[in-house]
Amino acid sequence: MSDNADMKRIPERVLIGKVGLDGHDRGAKYVAHILRDAGYEVIYTGIRRTPQQIVETAIQEDVAMIGLSFLSGAHKKLLTQVLDLLKERDAIDIVVTVGGSIPSADIPDLKAMGIAEVFTPGASSRSIVEAVGSLLKEHRQAV
Amino acid sequence: MTNDTKELVERVRGGTSQWVRATARLMSLIENCPERIPELLIGAADWPMPRMVVGLTGPPGCGKSVLVDGLITEFRIRDPQGRIGVIAVDPSSPFSGGAFLGDRFRMMRHASDRMVFLRSAATRGHVGGLLLGVNAFIRILGLAGCRTVLIETVGVGQNETEIADVADFVVVTIAPGHGDAIQLLKCGLMEVGDIFVVNKADCEGAAQLYAQLRAVLRLDSGERKRGMPDTCLVSASRRRGIEELVDLCEKRAALSQPAWEARRRQAMISEVKAAVLEEARQRLIRALNSESVGSRDVNRVLRGELAISNFVDGLIQSTTGTRDAATNHG
Repeated sequence: MSDNADMKRIPERVLIGKVGLDGHDRGAKYVAHILRDAGYEVIYTGIRRTPQQIVETAIQEDVAMIGLSFLSGAHKKLLTQVLDLLKERDAIDIVVTVGGSIPSADIPDLKAMGIAEVFTPGASSRSIVEAVGSLLKEHRQAV
Repeated sequence: MTNDTKELVERVRGGTSQWVRATARLMSLIENCPERIPELLIGAADWPMPRMVVGLTGPPGCGKSVLVDGLITEFRIRDPQGRIGVIAVDPSSPFSGGAFLGDRFRMMRHASDRMVFLRSAATRGHVGGLLLGVNAFIRILGLAGCRTVLIETVGVGQNETEIADVADFVVVTIAPGHGDAIQLLKCGLMEVGDIFVVNKADCEGAAQLYAQLRAVLRLDSGERKRGMPDTCLVSASRRRGIEELVDLCEKRAALSQPAWEARRRQAMISEVKAAVLEEARQRLIRALNSESVGSRDVNRVLRGELAISNFVDGLIQSTTGTRDAATNHG
């Protein structure tokens, strides 16, 4: 390990996974990969998890962010459940971001619900890393 | 203990609805500020201890995580009131500092079981197959009421044997397809096992590997006059052999209780030493990279004007009292 790596900041922890029934995990794995390479510790949960499993994992792993990927169209309902559970567990400080095939008409609603950022198909790896970086910077200042 | 630590400790101990979050936070504190490990361990003298700390190690891809998943299920059946703690370690990238923590992926069905606390951890540059602070993690899980703690190391090569100092006993897992019987004769990994598991019993070559393993261990135990380790043929993915493995774990735990009590004390001493070394290492790296001491004297060494030992003396002296300089901890 180089000296520079030793001097580096403490890695931040994020959770990447999928809730609901669609099994398309290409995007989630891709984002896990680029965040790993950007210096994050990525807890990967895999597909078809329940909102309970995601929230419990996020709390036990003490992550700063949950990133969930959707293809199925069930994002509003499932994200409502995730946010409700976070509230219930007094863990609303955890940033929630979403990626996948989200209709642009839904994005304002999702943001109003409390989703910090929505990444739609075609989002570049750089834009994702930058957005996550600035969201977590705000998060650090808030906590 | 400082106030933030004390408050978290009380919330973990209290067992209120907030204990999960507090346990996770306390672990992060230790992970992010290794220099606070001694503070925690000193304060932990009267904390409850887990009754069994099992170490699981083996090469990458031999099925450790699936095995841990099966062990959680079996321990939960045998002790429905007993909380279980799991520490699953994966490597950090030496290049980006990031990590892909994928052990938990195999254990997700336990994620919403309130009796199971599962924590993934990255090595963050620590060598040996675990993270700096693993003993503090064990104490925190003990405080949180975990009766059984399972620790999964990174997928080890041949020499990551730190787990032997940390766990009460070690389960070494191997699987067919990872090389021939010559691999079984190599030092390191093969010397730390109290229980040896051949996993993937459903795959070709498992029975042969098991026979070769038994032969090597028999020879070893004769040479060294120590007891023959236990062995077990398992198919974790098909849930075969897990009950026998838990029986062997229970047997080991009962056998070695006085030994592990002494070992746990020793492990905490080692961890305090490691934390001291880590703090010293960070200070020295800062000094070595600094304009005034580092670059000037490195050049003097290169020109033959300064002996290495004198350089080191100067370096150590210059680090005294640099505690807060440029530190990103806390």
